[in-house]
Amino acid sequence: MKRTVSRAAIVRALLKKELVSYARDTVYLALTLVVLIATPLLFRALPDRVEEDLVLAVCPPVSRLLEGSAEALRALGASEADIARLREADLTKQEGLELVEFEDEKQLRAAIEGSLQVWRTREGKTVFIDTAAGEKRPKGAKRVDVQIGVAFPERFLADLATSARRLQVTVYTHASAPPELRHAVTSFVREAAFQVAGEGLPVQFPDEKDVVVGVDRLGNQVSLREKMRPMLLFIVLMMETFSMASLVSTEVLERTVTAVLVTPAKASDFIAAKTIFGTLVSLTQALFVLALIGGVTSQNWSLMLTVLLVGAVMFTGIALLVGAAGKDFMGQLFYAMLFTVPMLIPAFAVLFPGSVAPWVRILPTYPIIDVLVKATVYGGGWSGSAGSLAYAAVWLAVLFGAGVVVLKRKVASL
Amino acid sequence: MAEVREPAIRVEDLRFSYGEIEAVKGISFEVMPGEILGFLGPNGAGKSTTIKMLIGLLPPQGGRATVLGTDVALDDPGLQARIGVCFEEKNLYLNMTARENLEFFAALYGVKDADVDGALRRVGLADRADDRVKTFSKGMRQRMMIARAFINRPDVLFLDEPTDGLDPVTAAAIRATIKEEAARGAAVLLTTHDMFEADELSDRVAFINEGVIVALDTPENLKIKHGTRAVRVRLRDGDGVAEEVLPLGDEAATKRLAELAASPDLLTIHTEEATLEQIFIKLTGRGLAG
Repeated sequence: MKRTVSRAAIVRALLKKELVSYARDTVYLALTLVVLIATPLLFRALPDRVEEDLVLAVCPPVSRLLEGSAEALRALGASEADIARLREADLTKQEGLELVEFEDEKQLRAAIEGSLQVWRTREGKTVFIDTAAGEKRPKGAKRVDVQIGVAFPERFLADLATSARRLQVTVYTHASAPPELRHAVTSFVREAAFQVAGEGLPVQFPDEKDVVVGVDRLGNQVSLREKMRPMLLFIVLMMETFSMASLVSTEVLERTVTAVLVTPAKASDFIAAKTIFGTLVSLTQALFVLALIGGVTSQNWSLMLTVLLVGAVMFTGIALLVGAAGKDFMGQLFYAMLFTVPMLIPAFAVLFPGSVAPWVRILPTYPIIDVLVKATVYGGGWSGSAGSLAYAAVWLAVLFGAGVVVLKRKVASL
Repeated sequence: MAEVREPAIRVEDLRFSYGEIEAVKGISFEVMPGEILGFLGPNGAGKSTTIKMLIGLLPPQGGRATVLGTDVALDDPGLQARIGVCFEEKNLYLNMTARENLEFFAALYGVKDADVDGALRRVGLADRADDRVKTFSKGMRQRMMIARAFINRPDVLFLDEPTDGLDPVTAAAIRATIKEEAARGAAVLLTTHDMFEADELSDRVAFINEGVIVALDTPENLKIKHGTRAVRVRLRDGDGVAEEVLPLGDEAATKRLAELAASPDLLTIHTEEATLEQIFIKLTGRGLAG
């Protein structure tokens, strides 16, 4: 008796089987739960604002630095008006500069090393906490990260103006501080010395006019949290690769795929079911995480959905490749790392705009992460993402095609 | 006019090579509906490759094979729906229950009203229907393999070591089930190392060695052809035991056999026919286990 069964019915049966296999595997479930819980938590834990003020430690306190400066400046010929202006200017409240005053150099150095913590209370009072001594921070206080500081001699301004001896100024910088910050502070000290000593730089400064090309984000910087949003979405898509690859390789290693292929089901049905299931699982997870961490607007939702779909299919293709290539668990792990580590590079690279190397731009995942960044961080739309999406589509075809070919060859060789 | 029955499996000069290695070197045989053909040979003889070609997992590289009148090279889903396969590897979905496994495969075969409970009852697993297969013993998994092979009431069955790992009672029950399937009209290609099983189940046996069928006949004919027509009689002899081998068909020997049969000292009488294992060794110079 001839019996017929439609391809749709076969793929439906295979999808049901995939769902049962996935839902009953504790490793896949644990991995999924970890990703779904950890990524939003990590997102919330990241700083949501950018500290634009430069924190500069200084010792001794400004009042002691200025001690005797009026007389010295008067002797140098400064006008009373200038001296009055200097006295009235609160150097600790300059725009873009946050001064933290220390009594002595030892204390300043300890603060930069980190053994002495600096906290600022709601009332604006600065509190120093010696953690080694078991001191506790005041309630509601905010930590001030001190990375660079300048240790001046006592009565610096007065001595600078009148003394013939060479004054020693020490700039302390934390090892993790960017070198350009150290250079900036060193230059600032030298220029200040020239100015105070009445020996201005031998140039006429031109009138400055700052022109910012593009969106000027001064005062509205993209926070690390915002920058990490596309990367977290990307990681969700990528993590699903491991589960899918494992599902594929289990079928290959346990030969269940051969049991399926002696029924009316074809290799194409098997691959179609895996692709649909893998794509749906990773896309659903990405959308779930996206709902928790935000980033979708009425303007970008269709673009976001499209790019996540492209990413989900691409990673499913990689999963087919990895699952078919690995001969055992270690082999699968090897291929998974081989493929996923390079795929992760663009996600890190785009955290620092302008620093993406040309070879990173060639990687298959670059266009996906590029669109995610443009859409979620910079409010980009379809017009600015079309090129990247087209490039991603090419890579999608290549990777998915390779995955299908390798899996088909593997199945045929069983 | 008598009905002319077509073979369920027809293999003509079938060939397959793995690179330089010729695994199947032009074999030919037929299996009629309702017939059980024992396919015997040591590991690497070409049995698995032949079966892989017949069930559509490998495309033949030479010759031709049809199953239920359809060329296996066509990879026809309609044909796949009518065959049942029991693999030597117990390739079941371990995280699914016994019922889910059978329902899944029934769906792939397009069987809408599959009698899953009946299939499980038949192999003695009805009370474990809703347990995950990973909790099953080796023997229970083997029974699941049989149930799965039968779930679509196939017209052709390919059974690779179907009683492997089963206790004698369950193995006997499975053999009875295989006979029932053949009695229903299913053609059965049975691969086994168990000569007793091959002898008991097979209507005919094919010996395959190094990719070539070296003998194909009924077990009876093979034994007659390659065995000794004689009986071995054991008698009590004082405190010991005496033996006599008497050729069959010889008048004097027949008379002597009658005398011994009437003797109060008679212990046992056994025929001297060859076993299938002995015949295989005689034909190929090697054992089946190798």
